[in-house]
Amino acid sequence: MTRGSVAATCAGIAAGIVALAIPLLGMPLLADIDFRICALLMVAVSWNLMAGAGLVSLGHSAFWGLGAYVAILAANDFAVPFAASLLPAMLAGALLGAALALITGRMRGIYFAISTLAASEGLRVLATMLPDITGGGNGLYLDSKLFPGKTAIGLAAPCGAILAALIAWAISRSRYAFALRAMRNNELASQMLGVAPIRFRVGIMMIAGAIATLAGAINAWHGGYLDPGVGFDLKTTIDAQIAPILGGVYTLPGPIIGAIATIGFEELTRALFGGMVGISLLVFGIVLVVVVLCMPQGIFGLLRGLRLPWRPATPRAAR
Amino acid sequence: MINFAQLLIDALLMGGLYALMSVGLSLGFGVMRIINFAHGEFVMLGAYGAFWGLTLWHIDPLIAMPLLIVLGFLAGWLLFRGVIEWALKAPQLNQILLTFGIALVLQHIAVVLWTGDVRSASPGYAVSTTIIGDLFIVHGRLIGFLVAGVLIAALMTWLRYSETGRALRAVAQNRDAAILMGIDPGRIYALSFATSTALGVASGAIVSFLINITPFMGFPILLKAVAIVILGGLGSVAGTVIGAFVLAIAETMVAYYVPDGAGWTEGVAFALIVAILLIRPRGIAGQSLAT
Repeated sequence: MTRGSVAATCAGIAAGIVALAIPLLGMPLLADIDFRICALLMVAVSWNLMAGAGLVSLGHSAFWGLGAYVAILAANDFAVPFAASLLPAMLAGALLGAALALITGRMRGIYFAISTLAASEGLRVLATMLPDITGGGNGLYLDSKLFPGKTAIGLAAPCGAILAALIAWAISRSRYAFALRAMRNNELASQMLGVAPIRFRVGIMMIAGAIATLAGAINAWHGGYLDPGVGFDLKTTIDAQIAPILGGVYTLPGPIIGAIATIGFEELTRALFGGMVGISLLVFGIVLVVVVLCMPQGIFGLLRGLRLPWRPATPRAAR
Repeated sequence: MINFAQLLIDALLMGGLYALMSVGLSLGFGVMRIINFAHGEFVMLGAYGAFWGLTLWHIDPLIAMPLLIVLGFLAGWLLFRGVIEWALKAPQLNQILLTFGIALVLQHIAVVLWTGDVRSASPGYAVSTTIIGDLFIVHGRLIGFLVAGVLIAALMTWLRYSETGRALRAVAQNRDAAILMGIDPGRIYALSFATSTALGVASGAIVSFLINITPFMGFPILLKAVAIVILGGLGSVAGTVIGAFVLAIAETMVAYYVPDGAGWTEGVAFALIVAILLIRPRGIAGQSLAT
């Protein structure tokens, strides 16, 4: 282990402890920010896992919304408690991921991106048009008898975020990471080297799908209300890509740094421009354009470029 | 009993409009291999341009359209030279995110400038109708269809017979060979992107009196255009026109025959995307770029 990676590991552990401690302090504003960072972190890690295999998703709201609906419907229709409702949600996300992976077959790049976009919009239409199951456009409220309390939900988000980060870390340490990176660079060539792309694609999309649906499910319990517009909001898709891009795409710390930075940006624009509608997403758009054009390595890339005494280690997955 | 002739007329008129909305996207992709996710935003800006022209200066959207086309062309040229060009050699991920970011910026500039209120331009012909037997023809839709037809015909003639049009097709077919023939691909790229945005703005001027205008109208339009372009085959203008009519007919059928059809029509485009990608990823007339 280099000094950089020791420092990074310590920073990660410290961040995890802080994220877990905040909901227990009883400070609502801070707890809210903590929750949003953790939820975004899960989606960002999930997006980054897929991007790492060359699969650019423009439809993370599909996973998010699916998780939200499965969790709330499980609770309302079958009286499933909070923690238990997260399992079917993750299962549904993994299944959706596998289905998308199989449908898109060997498609890459634009075709894959468009398919995910179509999936999320298609699910939104389904949720709107099946009011008997989903409540349709009127939406549905979570059964308040099952509400486990703010602290439990506040703790679930950092737990999920830590889990997501650990999964990403484990993958980056394994042979899996090399296969995925080979797929990203050249799927055909990786196939000749004995990587079975479809197996890895299904695998990574099941994992990424489960992580993103978990975030959506926890968030649905947090909000308590759901309709197709909320569940399959385009903003989720936008956030899911902005965070890893801003932090540093294809890297392990990227989505984590990015999630914190993105929420920071959001709070900053809110403080500066107050209630002006649209400003925060306008700023996001500008950030997206500028980062893609001027610093494609993101914040983590900038940090790595600086000559700090504890220069952050290059994670294996990005080397 | 549902009137089948009415269904066909509705689908035909809508198909022309869909073709105009997506033909610009198709052109841009064919030449540069970039899907411009901001294309719907140019339709939105065109619609606002026509709306404000009518509201503030009483200029009919059809008269404002040529001016809007010129403005759209200039804006597209500037956007290409200022932003898009820098990402041409970047990985596809960057290109997708870049145009997505531009879409986000344009959309929310519109929100900040004009709020999220729903508006619509309503010149006299937007609602007047002709009734032939038991068929209803809304004049606004007919006019939109005719204008779309003229613009698309002009585009195809230009691509087919003019020197520049041939150069553009040459770059689309084989960039390296085109360079060897003395064609400057940078100029052709800028030209095709600017033409593509001009077409988007033009369709915006037409839809301004057909559908509601909001800053968020661009995204659903983009999704439909993407479905049409995939359906027709990425990079084929003629295929795109066919794809537009296929989508229009499918949507109209669903609206007529399926209970609650009007709500389900929104899903038709996505079902078609998935079906086409599964069955025939190269579309009706396009080239396969799936791998």
